[in-house]
Amino acid sequence: MLTVKDLALSYGGATPVLEGVSLTVARGQFVSLVGPSGSGKSSLLRAIMGLQPIQAGSIETDVKRDDIGMLFQDDALLPWRTAEENVALGLRLKGVAKGTAIASARQWLTRLNLYGLSERFPRQLSGGQRKRVALAQVLAREPKFLLMDEPFASLDAIVRARVTQDLMRLVEQRGISVLLVTHDLEEALALSDLVCLMSLGPRAQISGYYEVKLPRPRDAMKVRSHPDFAPLLQRLWTDLSREVGGRAA
Amino acid sequence: MSDRPGSWLRQLIAFAILIAIWQGAAQAGLLNPLYMPSPLAVALTLIELFRTGTIWIHIMATFSAALGGLALGIVVGAILGTAAALVPLVGELLEPVMIGLNAVPRVVLAPLFVIWFGIALASKIALAFILVAVVIFFTVFTGIRQVDRRLVERVMTLGGGWQALLTEVYIPSVTAFILGNLKVAVGFAFTGAVVGEFVAATKGLGYLLSFAQSSYNSALMIALVVLIMGFVLAIFALTGMLERRLLRWRG
Repeated sequence: MLTVKDLALSYGGATPVLEGVSLTVARGQFVSLVGPSGSGKSSLLRAIMGLQPIQAGSIETDVKRDDIGMLFQDDALLPWRTAEENVALGLRLKGVAKGTAIASARQWLTRLNLYGLSERFPRQLSGGQRKRVALAQVLAREPKFLLMDEPFASLDAIVRARVTQDLMRLVEQRGISVLLVTHDLEEALALSDLVCLMSLGPRAQISGYYEVKLPRPRDAMKVRSHPDFAPLLQRLWTDLSREVGGRAA
Repeated sequence: MSDRPGSWLRQLIAFAILIAIWQGAAQAGLLNPLYMPSPLAVALTLIELFRTGTIWIHIMATFSAALGGLALGIVVGAILGTAAALVPLVGELLEPVMIGLNAVPRVVLAPLFVIWFGIALASKIALAFILVAVVIFFTVFTGIRQVDRRLVERVMTLGGGWQALLTEVYIPSVTAFILGNLKVAVGFAFTGAVVGEFVAATKGLGYLLSFAQSSYNSALMIALVVLIMGFVLAIFALTGMLERRLLRWRG
Protein backbone atom coordinates (compact mmCIF):
# COMPACT_ATOMS: atom_id res chain seq x y z
CA MET A 1 0.00 0.00 0.00
CA LEU A 2 2.64 2.56 1.10
CA THR A 3 6.34 1.86 1.39
CA VAL A 4 8.85 4.50 2.44
CA LYS A 5 12.46 3.37 2.07
CA ASP A 6 15.58 5.09 3.45
CA LEU A 7 13.99 8.49 3.12
CA ALA A 8 16.02 11.65 3.75
CA LEU A 9 14.72 15.18 3.53
CA SER A 10 15.78 18.64 4.62
CA TYR A 11 14.38 22.16 4.76
CA GLY A 12 17.12 23.42 2.45
CA GLY A 13 20.04 23.24 4.90
CA ALA A 14 22.87 20.70 4.67
CA THR A 15 21.72 18.62 7.63
CA PRO A 16 18.71 16.47 6.85
CA VAL A 17 15.72 16.62 9.19
CA LEU A 18 14.94 12.99 8.45
CA GLU A 19 17.43 10.35 7.40
CA GLY A 20 17.07 6.63 6.75
CA VAL A 21 13.37 6.52 7.49
CA SER A 22 11.63 3.33 6.41
CA LEU A 23 7.99 2.63 6.97
CA THR A 24 5.22 0.45 5.59
CA VAL A 25 1.49 0.97 5.86
CA ALA A 26 -0.48 -2.12 4.79
CA ARG A 27 -3.96 -2.06 3.28
CA GLY A 28 -6.51 -1.18 5.96
CA GLN A 29 -3.81 -0.57 8.57
CA PHE A 30 -3.86 2.41 10.93
CA VAL A 31 -0.31 3.64 11.64
CA SER A 32 0.65 6.57 13.87
CA LEU A 33 3.85 8.56 13.96
CA VAL A 34 4.73 10.02 17.34
CA GLY A 35 7.88 11.73 18.51
CA PRO A 36 9.50 14.94 19.70
CA SER A 37 8.65 18.26 18.05
CA GLY A 38 10.82 19.01 15.06
CA SER A 39 11.50 15.37 14.26
CA GLY A 40 10.09 15.85 10.76
CA LYS A 41 6.83 13.93 11.20
CA SER A 42 4.76 16.50 9.31
CA SER A 43 7.44 16.81 6.62
CA LEU A 44 7.22 13.07 6.05
CA LEU A 45 3.48 13.36 5.35
CA ARG A 46 4.05 16.35 3.09
CA ALA A 47 6.71 14.40 1.20
CA ILE A 48 4.32 11.48 0.69
CA MET A 49 1.76 13.93 -0.69
CA GLY A 50 4.36 15.49 -2.99
CA LEU A 51 4.33 18.86 -1.23
CA GLN A 52 7.93 18.55 -0.08
CA PRO A 53 10.92 17.39 -2.18
CA ILE A 54 12.94 14.45 -0.88
CA GLN A 55 16.74 14.19 -0.85
CA ALA A 56 17.22 10.45 -0.86
CA GLY A 57 15.27 7.22 -0.65
CA SER A 58 11.92 6.41 -2.16
CA ILE A 59 8.19 6.64 -1.52
CA GLU A 60 6.10 4.04 -3.28
CA THR A 61 2.38 3.46 -3.18
CA ASP A 62 -0.07 1.41 -5.20
CA VAL A 63 -2.84 3.92 -4.49
CA LYS A 64 -3.72 6.52 -7.13
CA ARG A 65 -3.05 10.08 -6.04
CA ASP A 66 -6.77 10.84 -6.27
CA ASP A 67 -7.42 8.11 -3.72
CA ILE A 68 -5.11 9.64 -1.11
CA GLY A 69 -6.72 12.13 1.26
CA MET A 70 -4.86 14.52 3.51
CA LEU A 71 -6.16 16.23 6.61
CA PHE A 72 -4.05 19.14 7.83
CA GLN A 73 -3.52 20.54 11.29
CA ASP A 74 -5.53 23.62 10.32
CA ASP A 75 -8.81 23.16 8.50
CA ALA A 76 -7.78 25.39 5.53
CA LEU A 77 -11.26 25.63 4.05
CA LEU A 78 -11.80 28.15 1.26
CA PRO A 79 -13.31 31.10 3.17
CA TRP A 80 -15.33 32.24 0.14
CA ARG A 81 -17.05 28.88 -0.29
CA THR A 82 -19.88 27.57 1.87
CA ALA A 83 -19.48 24.33 3.81
CA GLU A 84 -21.19 22.29 1.09
CA GLU A 85 -19.26 24.02 -1.69
CA ASN A 86 -16.01 23.25 0.12
CA VAL A 87 -16.95 19.59 0.42
CA ALA A 88 -18.22 19.49 -3.19
CA LEU A 89 -14.96 21.03 -4.40
CA GLY A 90 -13.10 17.91 -3.35
CA LEU A 91 -15.46 15.84 -5.49
CA ARG A 92 -15.51 18.21 -8.46
CA LEU A 93 -11.72 18.10 -8.61
CA LYS A 94 -12.10 14.34 -8.87
CA GLY A 95 -14.30 14.79 -11.93
CA VAL A 96 -17.73 14.45 -10.29
CA ALA A 97 -20.46 16.63 -11.90
CA LYS A 98 -21.45 19.72 -9.89
CA GLY A 99 -25.02 18.64 -9.06
CA THR A 100 -23.95 15.18 -7.92
CA ALA A 101 -21.06 16.67 -5.96
CA ILE A 102 -23.35 19.06 -4.05
CA ALA A 103 -25.86 16.28 -3.29
CA SER A 104 -23.10 14.02 -2.03
CA ALA A 105 -21.56 16.90 -0.02
CA ARG A 106 -24.88 17.44 1.77
CA GLN A 107 -25.10 13.75 2.64
CA TRP A 108 -21.60 13.78 4.07
CA LEU A 109 -22.26 16.91 6.10
CA THR A 110 -25.38 15.28 7.53
CA ARG A 111 -23.43 12.11 8.29
CA LEU A 112 -20.89 14.19 10.21
CA ASN A 113 -23.60 15.93 12.24
CA LEU A 114 -23.55 19.18 10.28
CA TYR A 115 -27.16 19.04 9.10
CA GLY A 116 -28.52 22.53 8.46
CA LEU A 117 -25.09 24.15 8.32
CA SER A 118 -24.26 23.35 4.72
CA GLU A 119 -24.85 26.86 3.44
CA ARG A 120 -22.73 28.56 6.07
CA PHE A 121 -19.35 30.06 5.32
CA PRO A 122 -16.36 28.76 7.33
CA ARG A 123 -16.26 31.90 9.51
CA GLN A 124 -19.83 31.16 10.60
CA LEU A 125 -18.81 27.74 11.95
CA SER A 126 -17.10 26.76 15.19
CA GLY A 127 -13.64 25.17 15.19
CA GLY A 128 -15.12 21.69 15.63
CA GLN A 129 -17.64 22.24 12.86
CA ARG A 130 -14.95 23.48 10.47
CA LYS A 131 -12.89 20.42 11.26
CA ARG A 132 -15.87 18.20 10.44
CA VAL A 133 -16.31 20.04 7.12
CA ALA A 134 -12.64 19.43 6.33
CA LEU A 135 -13.11 15.78 7.29
CA ALA A 136 -16.22 15.54 5.08
CA GLN A 137 -14.26 17.14 2.21
CA VAL A 138 -11.64 14.42 2.43
CA LEU A 139 -13.94 11.47 3.20
CA ALA A 140 -16.48 12.36 0.48
CA ARG A 141 -13.77 11.53 -2.04
CA GLU A 142 -13.80 8.01 -0.61
CA PRO A 143 -10.04 7.82 -0.13
CA LYS A 144 -8.32 4.47 0.18
CA PHE A 145 -5.47 6.03 2.10
CA LEU A 146 -5.64 8.89 4.58
CA LEU A 147 -2.74 11.07 5.74
CA MET A 148 -3.50 13.10 8.85
CA ASP A 149 -1.30 15.73 10.47
CA GLU A 150 -2.58 16.36 13.99
CA PRO A 151 -6.00 16.98 12.54
CA PHE A 152 -7.79 17.54 15.81
CA ALA A 153 -5.08 19.25 17.86
CA SER A 154 -6.91 22.57 18.09
CA LEU A 155 -10.20 21.12 19.35
CA ASP A 156 -11.39 20.96 22.93
CA ALA A 157 -11.47 17.54 24.57
CA ILE A 158 -15.17 16.74 24.13
CA VAL A 159 -15.37 17.83 20.50
CA ARG A 160 -12.11 16.10 19.78
CA ALA A 161 -13.36 12.82 21.23
CA ARG A 162 -16.54 13.01 19.17
CA VAL A 163 -14.84 13.85 15.88
CA THR A 164 -12.22 11.19 16.48
CA GLN A 165 -14.91 8.59 17.13
CA ASP A 166 -16.76 9.58 13.94
CA LEU A 167 -13.56 9.22 11.99
CA MET A 168 -12.68 5.90 13.62
CA ARG A 169 -16.06 4.44 12.72
CA LEU A 170 -15.71 5.42 9.06
CA VAL A 171 -12.12 4.25 8.80
CA GLU A 172 -13.01 0.83 10.23
CA GLN A 173 -16.18 0.48 8.12
CA ARG A 174 -14.45 1.34 4.87
CA GLY A 175 -11.10 -0.29 5.51
CA ILE A 176 -9.20 2.94 4.89
CA SER A 177 -5.45 2.85 5.50
CA VAL A 178 -4.26 5.70 7.71
CA LEU A 179 -0.97 7.36 8.54
CA LEU A 180 -1.51 9.75 11.45
CA VAL A 181 0.94 12.24 12.94
CA THR A 182 0.16 13.11 16.53
CA HIS A 183 1.73 14.37 19.73
CA ASP A 184 -0.83 12.55 21.78
CA LEU A 185 0.49 9.10 22.74
CA GLU A 186 -2.86 7.96 24.14
CA GLU A 187 -4.63 8.94 20.94
CA ALA A 188 -2.00 7.15 18.86
CA LEU A 189 -2.45 3.91 20.83
CA ALA A 190 -6.23 4.15 20.96
CA LEU A 191 -6.56 4.48 17.19
CA SER A 192 -3.66 2.57 15.67
CA ASP A 193 -2.55 -0.91 14.77
CA LEU A 194 1.04 0.26 14.77
CA VAL A 195 2.74 3.22 16.46
CA CYS A 196 6.12 4.42 15.17
CA LEU A 197 8.29 6.49 17.49
CA MET A 198 10.55 9.05 15.84
CA SER A 199 13.89 9.99 17.37
CA LEU A 200 14.91 13.56 18.13
CA GLY A 201 16.02 15.47 15.01
CA PRO A 202 18.04 16.47 13.08
CA ARG A 203 18.65 13.21 11.20
CA ALA A 204 15.56 11.81 12.90
CA GLN A 205 14.74 8.15 12.34
CA ILE A 206 12.11 5.73 13.48
CA SER A 207 13.53 4.42 16.73
CA GLY A 208 10.75 2.05 17.75
CA TYR A 209 7.68 0.20 16.42
CA TYR A 210 4.82 -0.68 18.79
CA GLU A 211 2.16 -3.09 17.65
CA VAL A 212 -1.26 -2.40 19.17
CA LYS A 213 -3.24 -5.63 19.27
CA LEU A 214 -6.40 -4.24 20.79
CA PRO A 215 -9.74 -5.54 19.48
CA ARG A 216 -11.61 -3.80 16.64
CA PRO A 217 -14.03 -2.15 16.12
CA ARG A 218 -12.74 0.21 18.74
CA ASP A 219 -14.27 2.96 20.76
CA ALA A 220 -11.50 5.54 20.86
CA MET A 221 -12.30 6.41 24.50
CA LYS A 222 -13.34 3.05 25.98
CA VAL A 223 -10.32 1.24 24.56
CA ARG A 224 -8.16 3.22 26.97
CA SER A 225 -9.48 1.14 29.86
CA HIS A 226 -8.44 -2.14 28.20
CA PRO A 227 -5.90 -3.95 30.44
CA ASP A 228 -3.24 -3.96 27.67
CA PHE A 229 -3.50 -0.24 27.10
CA ALA A 230 -1.72 1.14 30.18
CA PRO A 231 1.42 -1.05 29.89
CA LEU A 232 1.79 -0.11 26.21
CA LEU A 233 1.39 3.56 27.02
CA GLN A 234 3.95 3.26 29.81
CA ARG A 235 6.46 1.65 27.43
CA LEU A 236 5.90 4.24 24.76
CA TRP A 237 6.17 7.08 27.26
CA THR A 238 9.41 5.73 28.74
CA ASP A 239 10.96 5.34 25.29
CA LEU A 240 9.86 8.79 24.19
CA SER A 241 11.29 10.32 27.38
CA ARG A 242 14.57 8.55 26.68
CA GLU A 243 14.51 9.88 23.10
CA VAL A 244 14.31 13.48 24.24
CA GLY A 245 17.03 12.90 26.82
CA GLY A 246 14.91 13.00 29.91
CA ARG A 247 13.15 16.19 28.81
CA ALA A 248 9.37 16.12 28.66
CA ALA A 249 8.21 15.41 25.11
CA MET B 1 -17.00 56.17 10.33
CA SER B 2 -18.20 55.46 13.82
CA ASP B 3 -20.69 52.65 14.29
CA ARG B 4 -22.03 53.86 17.62
CA PRO B 5 -25.83 53.99 17.64
CA GLY B 6 -27.21 57.28 16.35
CA SER B 7 -23.80 58.42 15.14
CA TRP B 8 -25.16 59.43 11.72
CA LEU B 9 -27.67 61.71 13.44
CA ARG B 10 -24.95 63.40 15.50
CA GLN B 11 -22.82 63.77 12.37
CA LEU B 12 -25.75 65.30 10.49
CA ILE B 13 -26.46 67.76 13.31
CA ALA B 14 -22.78 68.76 13.49
CA PHE B 15 -22.74 69.30 9.72
CA ALA B 16 -25.92 71.40 9.85
CA ILE B 17 -24.45 73.54 12.64
CA LEU B 18 -21.28 74.10 10.59
CA ILE B 19 -23.31 75.19 7.56
CA ALA B 20 -25.44 77.47 9.78
CA ILE B 21 -22.32 79.12 11.23
CA TRP B 22 -20.93 79.58 7.72
CA GLN B 23 -24.22 81.10 6.49
CA GLY B 24 -24.45 83.31 9.60
CA ALA B 25 -20.88 84.55 9.16
CA ALA B 26 -21.55 85.32 5.50
CA GLN B 27 -24.76 87.21 6.30
CA ALA B 28 -23.04 89.16 9.07
CA GLY B 29 -20.51 90.33 6.50
CA LEU B 30 -17.62 88.53 8.17
CA LEU B 31 -16.70 86.73 4.92
CA ASN B 32 -15.69 88.39 1.67
CA PRO B 33 -18.08 86.85 -0.94
CA LEU B 34 -15.35 87.12 -3.58
CA TYR B 35 -13.29 84.54 -1.71
CA MET B 36 -15.85 82.75 0.43
CA PRO B 37 -19.44 82.92 -0.79
CA SER B 38 -22.27 81.82 1.50
CA PRO B 39 -23.51 78.22 1.37
CA LEU B 40 -26.79 79.57 0.02
CA ALA B 41 -24.95 81.20 -2.91
CA VAL B 42 -23.15 77.92 -3.57
CA ALA B 43 -26.44 76.01 -3.48
CA LEU B 44 -28.06 78.51 -5.85
CA THR B 45 -25.13 78.18 -8.27
CA LEU B 46 -25.51 74.39 -8.19
CA ILE B 47 -29.24 74.62 -8.83
CA GLU B 48 -28.62 77.03 -11.68
CA LEU B 49 -26.10 74.66 -13.29
CA PHE B 50 -28.68 71.88 -13.35
CA ARG B 51 -31.64 74.15 -14.22
CA THR B 52 -29.97 75.44 -17.36
CA GLY B 53 -28.63 71.98 -18.11
CA THR B 54 -25.17 73.34 -18.95
CA ILE B 55 -23.55 71.04 -16.42
CA TRP B 56 -24.48 67.75 -18.13
CA ILE B 57 -21.96 67.93 -20.93
CA HIS B 58 -19.22 68.50 -18.34
CA ILE B 59 -20.43 65.71 -16.09
CA MET B 60 -20.52 63.35 -19.05
CA ALA B 61 -16.98 64.30 -20.05
CA THR B 62 -15.55 63.80 -16.54
CA PHE B 63 -17.41 60.54 -15.99
CA SER B 64 -16.30 59.18 -19.36
CA ALA B 65 -12.68 59.98 -18.57
CA ALA B 66 -12.83 58.73 -14.97
CA LEU B 67 -14.73 55.51 -15.64
CA GLY B 68 -12.78 54.80 -18.84
CA GLY B 69 -9.49 55.24 -17.00
CA LEU B 70 -10.80 53.22 -14.04
CA ALA B 71 -11.85 50.24 -16.18
CA LEU B 72 -8.69 50.30 -18.24
CA GLY B 73 -6.52 50.79 -15.14
CA ILE B 74 -8.12 47.86 -13.32
CA VAL B 75 -7.78 45.50 -16.29
CA VAL B 76 -4.21 46.46 -17.22
CA GLY B 77 -3.07 46.80 -13.58
CA ALA B 78 -4.53 43.37 -12.74
CA ILE B 79 -2.95 41.68 -15.77
CA LEU B 80 0.47 43.23 -15.11
CA GLY B 81 0.25 42.55 -11.37
CA THR B 82 -0.65 38.90 -12.03
CA ALA B 83 2.17 38.50 -14.55
CA ALA B 84 4.68 40.15 -12.21
CA ALA B 85 3.67 37.93 -9.29
CA LEU B 86 3.66 34.68 -11.25
CA VAL B 87 6.53 35.17 -13.74
CA PRO B 88 9.75 36.10 -11.89
CA LEU B 89 11.33 37.83 -14.91
CA VAL B 90 8.28 40.05 -15.46
CA GLY B 91 8.27 40.90 -11.75
CA GLU B 92 11.94 41.74 -11.85
CA LEU B 93 11.47 44.14 -14.79
CA LEU B 94 8.13 45.68 -13.84
CA GLU B 95 8.49 46.26 -10.11
CA PRO B 96 11.13 49.05 -10.35
CA VAL B 97 9.11 50.80 -13.08
CA MET B 98 5.99 50.70 -10.93
CA ILE B 99 7.91 51.81 -7.83
CA GLY B 100 9.26 54.73 -9.87
CA LEU B 101 5.78 55.64 -11.10
CA ASN B 102 4.44 55.35 -7.58
CA ALA B 103 7.18 57.60 -6.21
CA VAL B 104 6.21 60.65 -8.26
CA PRO B 105 2.88 62.43 -7.94
CA ARG B 106 1.51 61.01 -11.18
CA VAL B 107 -0.61 64.10 -11.91
CA VAL B 108 2.61 65.80 -13.05
CA LEU B 109 2.27 63.66 -16.16
CA ALA B 110 -0.86 65.61 -17.16
CA PRO B 111 0.91 68.20 -19.37
CA LEU B 112 2.90 65.45 -21.06
CA PHE B 113 -0.25 63.48 -21.81
CA VAL B 114 -1.83 66.58 -23.33
CA ILE B 115 1.15 66.83 -25.71
CA TRP B 116 0.98 63.10 -26.49
CA PHE B 117 -2.77 62.56 -26.74
CA GLY B 118 -4.21 66.03 -27.37
CA ILE B 119 -6.69 68.04 -25.34
CA ALA B 120 -9.64 65.71 -26.00
CA LEU B 121 -10.80 62.75 -23.90
CA ALA B 122 -7.78 60.50 -24.51
CA SER B 123 -5.32 62.49 -22.37
CA LYS B 124 -7.77 62.51 -19.43
CA ILE B 125 -8.38 58.78 -19.71
CA ALA B 126 -4.62 58.27 -19.86
CA LEU B 127 -4.09 60.23 -16.63
CA ALA B 128 -6.91 58.44 -14.78
CA PHE B 129 -5.57 55.17 -16.15
CA ILE B 130 -1.99 55.67 -14.96
CA LEU B 131 -3.18 56.69 -11.48
CA VAL B 132 -5.42 53.64 -11.17
CA ALA B 133 -3.18 51.08 -12.90
CA VAL B 134 -0.27 51.59 -10.47
CA VAL B 135 -2.52 51.15 -7.42
CA ILE B 136 -4.16 48.04 -8.87
CA PHE B 137 -0.80 46.64 -9.96
CA PHE B 138 0.52 46.72 -6.40
CA THR B 139 -2.78 45.46 -5.01
CA VAL B 140 -2.77 42.40 -7.28
CA PHE B 141 1.01 41.89 -7.05
CA THR B 142 1.03 41.77 -3.26
CA GLY B 143 -2.40 40.08 -3.22
CA ILE B 144 -1.15 37.10 -5.20
CA ARG B 145 2.07 36.88 -3.19
CA GLN B 146 0.09 36.91 0.05
CA VAL B 147 -2.36 34.20 -1.02
CA ASP B 148 -2.73 31.75 1.84
CA ARG B 149 -0.29 28.91 1.09
CA ARG B 150 -2.44 26.52 3.10
CA LEU B 151 -5.33 27.04 0.69
CA VAL B 152 -3.04 26.44 -2.28
CA GLU B 153 -1.78 23.21 -0.71
CA ARG B 154 -5.29 22.16 0.21
CA VAL B 155 -6.50 22.49 -3.39
CA MET B 156 -3.36 20.72 -4.61
CA THR B 157 -3.90 17.78 -2.25
CA LEU B 158 -7.47 17.55 -3.54
CA GLY B 159 -5.98 17.03 -6.98
CA GLY B 160 -6.42 20.57 -8.29
CA GLY B 161 -4.10 21.81 -11.03
CA TRP B 162 -3.23 25.38 -12.02
CA GLN B 163 -6.72 25.99 -13.42
CA ALA B 164 -8.39 25.04 -10.14
CA LEU B 165 -5.82 27.07 -8.20
CA LEU B 166 -6.59 30.09 -10.35
CA THR B 167 -10.38 29.90 -10.12
CA GLU B 168 -10.70 28.57 -6.57
CA VAL B 169 -7.85 30.33 -4.77
CA TYR B 170 -6.07 33.11 -6.65
CA ILE B 171 -8.99 34.93 -8.31
CA PRO B 172 -11.26 35.02 -5.21
CA SER B 173 -8.34 35.99 -3.02
CA VAL B 174 -7.17 38.79 -5.33
CA THR B 175 -10.76 39.98 -5.90
CA ALA B 176 -10.99 40.58 -2.17
CA PHE B 177 -7.79 42.66 -2.31
CA ILE B 178 -8.99 44.65 -5.35
CA LEU B 179 -12.38 45.35 -3.82
CA GLY B 180 -10.63 46.52 -0.67
CA ASN B 181 -8.73 49.08 -2.75
CA LEU B 182 -11.51 49.95 -5.18
CA LYS B 183 -12.43 53.09 -3.26
CA VAL B 184 -8.88 54.39 -3.55
CA ALA B 185 -8.92 53.56 -7.27
CA VAL B 186 -12.24 55.39 -7.79
CA GLY B 187 -10.88 58.45 -6.02
CA PHE B 188 -7.74 58.32 -8.16
CA ALA B 189 -9.76 57.93 -11.38
CA PHE B 190 -11.70 61.13 -10.66
CA THR B 191 -8.53 62.93 -9.60
CA GLY B 192 -6.93 61.97 -12.91
CA ALA B 193 -9.93 63.03 -14.96
CA VAL B 194 -10.43 66.37 -13.20
CA VAL B 195 -6.74 67.30 -13.09
CA GLY B 196 -6.40 66.37 -16.78
CA GLU B 197 -9.31 68.64 -17.62
CA PHE B 198 -7.91 71.36 -15.42
CA VAL B 199 -4.66 71.40 -17.39
CA ALA B 200 -6.16 71.58 -20.88
CA ALA B 201 -9.67 70.76 -22.07
CA THR B 202 -12.77 72.12 -23.70
CA LYS B 203 -15.25 70.45 -21.37
CA GLY B 204 -15.48 68.56 -18.11
CA LEU B 205 -15.77 69.49 -14.44
CA GLY B 206 -12.03 70.18 -14.29
CA TYR B 207 -12.33 72.52 -17.25
CA LEU B 208 -15.24 74.28 -15.56
CA LEU B 209 -13.17 74.56 -12.39
CA SER B 210 -10.34 76.13 -14.38
CA PHE B 211 -12.84 78.53 -15.97
CA ALA B 212 -14.27 79.44 -12.54
CA GLN B 213 -10.78 80.11 -11.23
CA SER B 214 -9.87 82.41 -14.13
CA SER B 215 -13.12 84.32 -13.69
CA TYR B 216 -12.75 84.54 -9.89
CA ASN B 217 -16.06 82.70 -9.43
CA SER B 218 -15.64 81.18 -5.96
CA ALA B 219 -19.27 80.10 -5.73
CA LEU B 220 -18.91 78.02 -8.90
CA MET B 221 -15.64 76.54 -7.67
CA ILE B 222 -17.09 75.44 -4.35
CA ALA B 223 -20.24 74.19 -6.11
CA LEU B 224 -18.07 72.05 -8.39
CA VAL B 225 -16.05 70.71 -5.46
CA VAL B 226 -19.31 69.76 -3.72
CA LEU B 227 -20.58 68.14 -6.91
CA ILE B 228 -17.41 66.07 -7.44
CA MET B 229 -17.46 65.08 -3.79
CA GLY B 230 -21.09 64.00 -4.14
CA PHE B 231 -20.34 61.88 -7.20
CA VAL B 232 -17.34 60.20 -5.63
CA LEU B 233 -19.30 59.48 -2.44
CA ALA B 234 -22.12 57.99 -4.52
CA ILE B 235 -19.64 55.73 -6.29
CA PHE B 236 -18.10 54.83 -2.92
CA ALA B 237 -21.57 53.74 -1.80
CA LEU B 238 -21.93 51.63 -4.94
CA THR B 239 -18.52 49.99 -4.47
CA GLY B 240 -19.44 49.44 -0.82
CA MET B 241 -22.56 47.57 -1.95
CA LEU B 242 -20.52 45.55 -4.43
CA GLU B 243 -17.99 44.77 -1.69
CA ARG B 244 -20.68 43.59 0.71
CA ARG B 245 -22.24 41.44 -1.98
CA LEU B 246 -19.07 39.86 -3.31
CA LEU B 247 -17.34 39.57 0.06
CA ARG B 248 -20.39 38.17 1.85
CA TRP B 249 -18.17 35.38 3.18
CA ARG B 250 -16.18 37.90 5.18
CA GLY B 251 -19.18 39.11 7.16
